[in-house]
Amino acid sequence: MECTRRDIMLGGLALLGADALQKPAFAAATSYFSGPAVDNGVTYRSTNFAKIDKKWQRQVVKYFSSEPIGTVVVDTRHHFLYLIMENKTAIRYGVGVGRDGFKWYGRATIDRKSLWPRWTPPPEMRKRHPELPEFVEGGSPKNPLGPRAMYLLRDGVDTGYRFHGTLEPGSIGKDASSGCIRMFNEDAIDLYQRCPIGTAVQVLPHIADKAPEVSQATPVANPVATPVE
Amino acid sequence: MRNITLMSAVTGLTRSLFAAAMLLTLAACNTTEIAAVEEPTVVPMTGQTDDPAPGFETVSVGSEEDFILNVGRRTYFTQDSAALDSVAKATLDKQAIWLNSNPRWLVKLQGFSDDSGSASKMASLSQQRADAAMAYLASKGVDPNRMWAKGYGNDREVRDCTERSCKVQNRRVVSNLRTERDAL
Repeated sequence: MECTRRDIMLGGLALLGADALQKPAFAAATSYFSGPAVDNGVTYRSTNFAKIDKKWQRQVVKYFSSEPIGTVVVDTRHHFLYLIMENKTAIRYGVGVGRDGFKWYGRATIDRKSLWPRWTPPPEMRKRHPELPEFVEGGSPKNPLGPRAMYLLRDGVDTGYRFHGTLEPGSIGKDASSGCIRMFNEDAIDLYQRCPIGTAVQVLPHIADKAPEVSQATPVANPVATPVE
Repeated sequence: MRNITLMSAVTGLTRSLFAAAMLLTLAACNTTEIAAVEEPTVVPMTGQTDDPAPGFETVSVGSEEDFILNVGRRTYFTQDSAALDSVAKATLDKQAIWLNSNPRWLVKLQGFSDDSGSASKMASLSQQRADAAMAYLASKGVDPNRMWAKGYGNDREVRDCTERSCKVQNRRVVSNLRTERDAL
């Protein structure tokens, strides 16, 4: 496997690019979509949740780990994102996480978020994939960010990682992205409403009260310094 | 005669016990209310992470659980502000749609603040936030008679806050569904 640290760093920069370049294996599955929905003037294909395993659908669950209320916790191994609520409960969302070599762990803060964000493939990505455009407009059916992006910064420095929507609902619950945490578009919209700027995020191999297992994922040594749009 | 005296003694005792019980109940009510400001449940949670939370095993349309899971109760504000930004309005828009299709629910709008100023300033700020949320819901068609707003200042914080991520949680209004009005 070609997984140098540089690649991982670039992965941080280019993760969205790789998202977009994924084989259309999931995208081809039109049954993952139902009718059109409108959000802030943009029409998009809504997720056909009848075709989605209940496990990955948004739900309120018990949560016994110790993170404070309001924190977002990602359990990478089990493909869950938890928003911690009161009284040992959390809203749990199914997510897609990074492939091997593109996993990332750490603490961060949601410091910026946007509606139907424009996607600019990072320069390194475009060198490797010259067919990529300079940017993809927000709301375009080819924009891998979907309706929302929440940008994860650490100590004011962009980690290059985001929570965002997806063009491929079938990839939720899988290791498919380049490190970004992808969600059903409906869930990305929902989480965006529930996370004020300043929300603390912890991306973990797995949450504390799940059976401890040795993770195979590669932690990133440093956050990526170059901001990614 | 003796029996009657005994009876009345018993009644007297019962009465004072009842009074004591009432007091206890009232005290318990107050305690519960503080603890239950945002808590639908106060029983200690048992079971395991990822079990469905109590009441959320199946969520029926129009239930409080539906509101919590599919709409969301919280509207957030920026520091020292009671202004509704576009995100806050989007949350309230969704709440208004839900409330308009579920007219059996009343709503208590509970305003909170962090600790960016004096206690009295925080109290008025939290009230302004609750009022702003209520006025917005009313502008979207929710009957004002179904709603009331109360500010709690910073004495009911989610938790003790020192860092930013903690403070942002306290700049909020919680739309709490009720079946009846608060006793005055």
